[in-house]
Amino acid sequence: MNKQNSEQLLLDWRDNVEAARLERHPQALLDMIPYAAFIGAQAKVEDQRLLYWLDKRASNIGNPSLPAIHGGVIGGFLELAAAIEIIYNLDIADVPKVVDFSLDYLRPGRYKTIYASCTVMRQGKKLANVSATAWQDDEQTPIATARCHFLI
Amino acid sequence: MAFDMKMALVRPALKYALERNGHGAALGFTLDKLERGETHLTFPYREDLVGNPITGVVHGGTIVSLLDTACGCAAMTIQKSPSVTPTMDLRLDYMRPAQPFKPIYVEAKVYRQSSNVIFCRGLAWQDDKDSPIAHCVANFMKVDSKSIQFRSIALKKLRRLMPWRQTPITDSESR
Repeated sequence: MNKQNSEQLLLDWRDNVEAARLERHPQALLDMIPYAAFIGAQAKVEDQRLLYWLDKRASNIGNPSLPAIHGGVIGGFLELAAAIEIIYNLDIADVPKVVDFSLDYLRPGRYKTIYASCTVMRQGKKLANVSATAWQDDEQTPIATARCHFLI
Repeated sequence: MAFDMKMALVRPALKYALERNGHGAALGFTLDKLERGETHLTFPYREDLVGNPITGVVHGGTIVSLLDTACGCAAMTIQKSPSVTPTMDLRLDYMRPAQPFKPIYVEAKVYRQSSNVIFCRGLAWQDDKDSPIAHCVANFMKVDSKSIQFRSIALKKLRRLMPWRQTPITDSESR
């Protein structure tokens, strides 16, 4: 029963991914992941690439005295963006598994919208390497960069 | 171990700041242990933090948040006068997939502090500490500025509460 259930879920997942790719609507992928709703991540297609953004909300604050966005939220957001980039762009059947994640904080995340975009650096048979950058005012002044390895 | 008066004063404030504010409150973890340079926390499973809708496993971003909080907290308390520590970088290795419906335990320790940088290590596990789900290394900047030390922040708040008091409260008085 349980196994059948998870097979059905996997089939639904594949259908939804296929539909999202055809309609060029990456937000549909985010809607399937509860964590995306928890932090408030959104995505759209812009200039032939995927642009992700995270609107400011009180539950994402890490340091109330500045106020600044929690470092873990920025990390989680970039990891989510990298996963969506893989699901949307590469032809894979399952949800990618993250192997490692390395994050460099360059500037403090102020209490406003964070944007992010990703690049798939390498795609092999088993592994994919994605780099993600987050910025706030200007794409030339990033607040954080991340590298991710995924098992696909 | 000798009784650490400063830590005893800072502990409730830090616990409040991390558990009841912003993202910490949204995640809903509890800090079990808060010593100088060592933090333990427990995170109960929550369905709205799922990252893989097929298996029901918690999203990796949650584990990033938990380890960042735990390591940051350990870095804050290791200093002579506890103050905010900005994260420089964080590297996270996922050893095995987390299992759904089980709490996650996190432990963070400071293993070296130099004049400018604090080096931390963190571990997250579920059933067995010997088979962890994630391991992380995080480095923090040591910022030596009075304005962000906990004591100065507390004094500023205290002054705001007592506007009738004209003379500023000095450090020696507050001890």
